[in-house]
Amino acid sequence: MDKKDITLIAVAVVICIVICALSPYIASGDPDGLEKSAEDAKLPEDFSVEEIKGIPDAIFPDYAFANAPDNQLLQIVALVIGTIVTLGLGYAVAEIVKRRN
Amino acid sequence: MHIPDGFIPITQCIVYYIILIVALYFSVRWARNNLDEKRIPLLAVLAAGIFAIMSMNMPIPFGTSGHMVGGALVAIVFLAPEAAVLVFTVVLLIQALIFGDGGITALGANVLNMAIIGGFVGLYTFKGLKGFVGNYAAAGIGAWLATVMAALACAIEMGIAGTFPMNIGIPSMVLYHFFIGIIEAVLTVIVLVALDKFRPDLLAWNDESAKGDA
Repeated sequence: MDKKDITLIAVAVVICIVICALSPYIASGDPDGLEKSAEDAKLPEDFSVEEIKGIPDAIFPDYAFANAPDNQLLQIVALVIGTIVTLGLGYAVAEIVKRRN
Repeated sequence: MHIPDGFIPITQCIVYYIILIVALYFSVRWARNNLDEKRIPLLAVLAAGIFAIMSMNMPIPFGTSGHMVGGALVAIVFLAPEAAVLVFTVVLLIQALIFGDGGITALGANVLNMAIIGGFVGLYTFKGLKGFVGNYAAAGIGAWLATVMAALACAIEMGIAGTFPMNIGIPSMVLYHFFIGIIEAVLTVIVLVALDKFRPDLLAWNDESAKGDA
């Protein structure tokens, strides 16, 4: 990895952290397009087309908004952890599948 | 447009998972032939950036909100929808497992909508229009159309699943994503302008070898 790539990653991480730090404060809490469409169709909140068992609970359900709706710091931490994990896994996957000469 | 667990019956989830496996096969094959060492950090930062921006729901009319998806962006940056499949499999897997955003059973359907449909529609709209309106306008229109088409596909899947009927789902999903697509278009163009200014070497449309078919 050369200097330009380190700069790319550093700039991207800073931008991501800024987004993560702002999201808990400024992101809209309104339902998204799919949730709103489900509301338009009068689906109950906990609708399920069939019961699905054995799905592990998420560590930070709804980005920690579900467990701690008023704890913005926890939400920021959850988002930053998610960003870093995604960066790492993305890098690992790319490294594994990269071009072979 | 993350489909949660419970919105698609398991038998149908399996079909979408098979589509995902086939898409991953082609994506890995693409990467082994085309993913240069220098674009590994790019793929990783696009994944991280898409994860972060998806937390930023922006208000749109009708008391609804939406966020950028990024399938068209990744496909246009690499000139390959296969790259979007790789990025979105990573992002959606982490969102489903750690954050409960999008179902783990619905992973196949979510990758289909956001990466495969979003990536193909975005990239081929871009390719078709860039000669007429220029790279950025073509990318913006491609990103907008990718969002609307992914939403349409999602509504059709919800209809097949029996979750909500298409006569309600299609107009609702398309109407809301008509506006969410504008967010998608603006942010897609901003990222492309920034990349072209600071790291033009990373944009596949600047590659000599890609000029013939891009």
